[in-house]
Amino acid sequence: MYISLNWLKDYLKIPAKIKPENIAEELTRHTVEVEGLVNLTDQFNHVVVGRVLEVGKHPNADRLRVTVVDVKDKKLNIVCGASNVAAGQLVPVARVGASLPNGLEIKESLIRGEKSEGMICAEDELGLGKNHEGIMVLKDKAKIGESFAKYLKADDIILEIDNKSLSNRPDLLNHYGIAREVSAIFNLPLKPYDKSFNRKYDFLGIKENKLEVKVAAPEACPRYLAVKVGQIEIKESPAWLKERLVAINQRPINNIVDLTNYVMFDCGQPMHAFDAAKIKKIAVRYADKGETIETLDEKERTLSPEDLVITDGREAIALAGIMGGHNSEISPETTALLLESANFNAGIIRKTSQRLGLRTESSLRFEKSLDPSLPEIAIFRFLTLLKEVCPKMKIESALIDVNHADLNQISVELDLEWLRNKIGQEIPREDVVNILEKLGFVLDGKSDGKLKAIVPSWRATKDIATKEDLAEEVLRLYGYDKIVSQMPVLEMALPEVNKERRLERQIKNILYLKNSLNEAYNYSFVGEEQLKKMNIDFFNHLKLANPLSGIHNLLRQSLVPGLASNIKTNQFKSDDFGFFEIGRVFFKAPGSLKRDKAGEEFLPYQEKRLGLVITGEDDLFIRLKGVVDNLLKNILDQTVEAEFAVLDNIPGWADNNSSAKVSVLGQELGVIALLGNEAGENMNLKRGVALAELNFNKLAEMVFDRPAFRFAEPPKYPPVTRDLAFVVENKILYNDLRKEIMDFNPLIRSVELFDVYIGNKLEGGKKSLAFHLSYQADDRTLTAGEVDKIQTDLVADLSDKFKATLRNF
Amino acid sequence: MKNKLNQLRAEFLERLDRAQNNEHLRELELKFLSRKGRLSEIMGGLKDLSLDLRQEVGELANSVKKELQAKFSEVSQSINGLGASNIKVDATLPGDKLAQGHLNPITLVQNEIEDIFSSLGFMILDGPELESDYYNFTALNVPPAHPARDMQDTFYVDYKNKDNQYDLLMRTQTSPVQVRAMQKYGAPLKAIIPGRCFRNEATDARHEHTFYQVEGILVGKNINFANLKSFLEIVGQRLFGPNTKLRMRPKFFPFVEPGNNGEYTCFLCQGKGCRVCKNTGWLEIVGAGLIHPEVLRAGGINPEEYSGLAFGFGLNRLAMLKYNIGDVRLFNSGDLKFLEQF
Repeated sequence: MYISLNWLKDYLKIPAKIKPENIAEELTRHTVEVEGLVNLTDQFNHVVVGRVLEVGKHPNADRLRVTVVDVKDKKLNIVCGASNVAAGQLVPVARVGASLPNGLEIKESLIRGEKSEGMICAEDELGLGKNHEGIMVLKDKAKIGESFAKYLKADDIILEIDNKSLSNRPDLLNHYGIAREVSAIFNLPLKPYDKSFNRKYDFLGIKENKLEVKVAAPEACPRYLAVKVGQIEIKESPAWLKERLVAINQRPINNIVDLTNYVMFDCGQPMHAFDAAKIKKIAVRYADKGETIETLDEKERTLSPEDLVITDGREAIALAGIMGGHNSEISPETTALLLESANFNAGIIRKTSQRLGLRTESSLRFEKSLDPSLPEIAIFRFLTLLKEVCPKMKIESALIDVNHADLNQISVELDLEWLRNKIGQEIPREDVVNILEKLGFVLDGKSDGKLKAIVPSWRATKDIATKEDLAEEVLRLYGYDKIVSQMPVLEMALPEVNKERRLERQIKNILYLKNSLNEAYNYSFVGEEQLKKMNIDFFNHLKLANPLSGIHNLLRQSLVPGLASNIKTNQFKSDDFGFFEIGRVFFKAPGSLKRDKAGEEFLPYQEKRLGLVITGEDDLFIRLKGVVDNLLKNILDQTVEAEFAVLDNIPGWADNNSSAKVSVLGQELGVIALLGNEAGENMNLKRGVALAELNFNKLAEMVFDRPAFRFAEPPKYPPVTRDLAFVVENKILYNDLRKEIMDFNPLIRSVELFDVYIGNKLEGGKKSLAFHLSYQADDRTLTAGEVDKIQTDLVADLSDKFKATLRNF
Repeated sequence: MKNKLNQLRAEFLERLDRAQNNEHLRELELKFLSRKGRLSEIMGGLKDLSLDLRQEVGELANSVKKELQAKFSEVSQSINGLGASNIKVDATLPGDKLAQGHLNPITLVQNEIEDIFSSLGFMILDGPELESDYYNFTALNVPPAHPARDMQDTFYVDYKNKDNQYDLLMRTQTSPVQVRAMQKYGAPLKAIIPGRCFRNEATDARHEHTFYQVEGILVGKNINFANLKSFLEIVGQRLFGPNTKLRMRPKFFPFVEPGNNGEYTCFLCQGKGCRVCKNTGWLEIVGAGLIHPEVLRAGGINPEEYSGLAFGFGLNRLAMLKYNIGDVRLFNSGDLKFLEQF
């Protein structure tokens, strides 16, 4: 929103020592964020008034003219494309160095071979309107060579206010509201708003000309004022009015439209003027399903029963609080107005404006809840100004006021002792009183310790209702800088440790420091196409109701798709790399967190997962198993071994031959697998990929439940190691064989696989598994005889159970 | 005899210089340094010298012996690979390139913040990323018609409740955990809540629909605005340096009253004004305020008995400032070229 300093001066006498910069700074510190300060004179730097001396044809272009323009200190050659340029005209000339409001920078140039030392400007190029029909021709009183800003009297300074910082302050979306804040900040007297205009209109023929206004939905339209005004002449607005609007970046249209806009930017009340010839009466109601209206922007809008419309008893003539209808629009032939000044329900306006994608200055204000006493003030303000703009105007109806508004006056009690505790220091009573009164609060009950504040109507819509709200008012105007900071005095307490977070950190450190993996943060959303490529069923995924796009419309149930994509993104940047991610996945089934206070329903189950992915040339599956095993040893303890077993349900993305379920200490944690060829090809991956995904929550529980690790005295007596290779059928699993060996005799302390051989030295369908076996006793050195005996029994046992034969090298 | 010694020394050193392997070394050792070697032979002749001469030549012989033994062991070590070589190595050659992994910068910044607050005795809390409308909005004093609930800002999950309303959403802030924490732990309470949040907006260099926040709450008896200010000051000093100053201004958040924005002295230019702080000397970093009584009530805490302060930062913004990252989309991009720098 733009605020003109000249406009503020209508209501405030600002002493010279308060500079515009101070106003911007202090408004930011105390009220709303001022994002910029624009001196209007600056935007017309190097733009001057010139007289066209000669106009000739351009030798190389039919549509261009070559002109000579006198700018007092020089005669400039300027190539001009406008058809209305003529010798003798006074025109705005942008000289070399000018940077125009539309962004154009003026340089000396050759246009089709002719030198051009500037530009004769059209209105739109100067930001003064949309007109690009021809160059702007100035009035005769313009002086050659004088700055255009001076000619325009654009000696204003504009404050640009961040609209977002106004979201809870509908009272500030206008000049008077800002003037009130400035008066409170700098302790300046504020001129009363409605003293400056006339309320004593003669509302003629109150009975005969009573305008019919019906409001069928008082909750949606708490107040509706209307009056008919005749003998209107639609024309260009007077200079003062246009200047004001142009200064705040509004395009002047005609005197009536400009005036409704002016009043809105002046006091914050949006108004609408209908052509009285086109309508006989006013009826406010909800739209019918499928009802249409052509709005002022000449677009047809299809409405629904939640939308509020103004009708003439039959068809819609305006979309309430948002935009007028084309059918009742003011035109140059209009001679009588039907003026609307109303209050509409914020929620209804917001919903309609949103659904139709139609945001206007009017809807912007109504959707923030406007003061229902404002329509009356605004209509008198309008009529006073109208008299000035159209002196012949005549009021032709009674002033209709359909008023269902709840003008309840909120009063809030402020205990000064409470205030002191809330702020942490004393703010003198007279400061509190002065601040609140400057903001329009009426104070009552002057007993020492307490103040009763009646909230002004413009702050009572949603903004202020409690003592905390009052505390903020006092505090922000008193100044945050004046509050002496002080650390709280608290009782010491041992905070509960977030063990999960600690484990997360530990895992991340192991994976990035030791396994050289990179940490990915992937989106929580996936898309159907992506899942299809990976052969993952997506029917059970939770969906977004309003996704940004189809590639992000489902809530992920696995970290795998994201991690596989990470490989794809980087496959041409590196050969051998990997990622990990710790993140949540989402399921339809309910979890354990309550949805609301009643606690009868639960949020969907959201599991934390740890995902791993690597790519490279060789042994990816084995390498990733090593990462997992090593990680589990690190976070559980060194005695733990990851177990890899055959998967019952191989996920769609996984390779059938290289996939396993990961367990530890008998608990299943997740899966590990190579990415299947089909998925890899669908994703255009150029190398193999191994992936693992573990249930982080389950893993965390295991870590927390694991008894403290105990150190074991290393054995005193030396081990005896033997290497043995067994030939077995291919289908026999390493893990089964290993377990059998480990459990065979307590003296067998470790079994370590060191070679797997499949090849022509063996019978078809067979493989050889070679192990280092380590035998050891705690109380003696084992003899060769003892070991041989166990070994012979072991070979017999394995032959019996697995048809294993000892391999001869 | 002195001549003999010097001659032997020169000969030995020359041959040592040419020695290539252990065989050569053994030969040298045997010929020169062993008990029956030439040096011993010469030293054996000492006893035939006059007392004066014996002392002089004896000293020389000893120093030669020491020198030759030292040189010998030096070469021996270099041949056997146990120490420095006698060949000058190009010390500027690179070391082995070991594979490296990298953490996401969000994790780095989050860890830093967690450590600051852990040291102040705060709990670190976690909460669901898929939240209910109640916890994300209603409990935080965002009434049903508030603009913050707009579909355009919030990702709703395609699931309607009994009243035919979308009831589940991707949390737009970490604040719902405030209320969950109050319900679970009651007052007094000191906690920070880092985490992933979502906003339904198209992404570009400055906007990202998935981003990270951390917020903190402190609930106790007589927690006041001066406490809030003090808290924000020390946090700023810890994050940006001991000379960091705080500037506060009003800012509306439904779940606090009063609500504030906190700006810190720009750490890059020390407040002088630069590109990053848009020449203001200040960086807008933190949103804060005293917890709204309605929020305390939703958390089951009596606002007449307890009060609280709350503040929140964007972790993306902190990381972007700290590491001079220009595009917010990089954090979730999984781009190795980005991650490799951290």
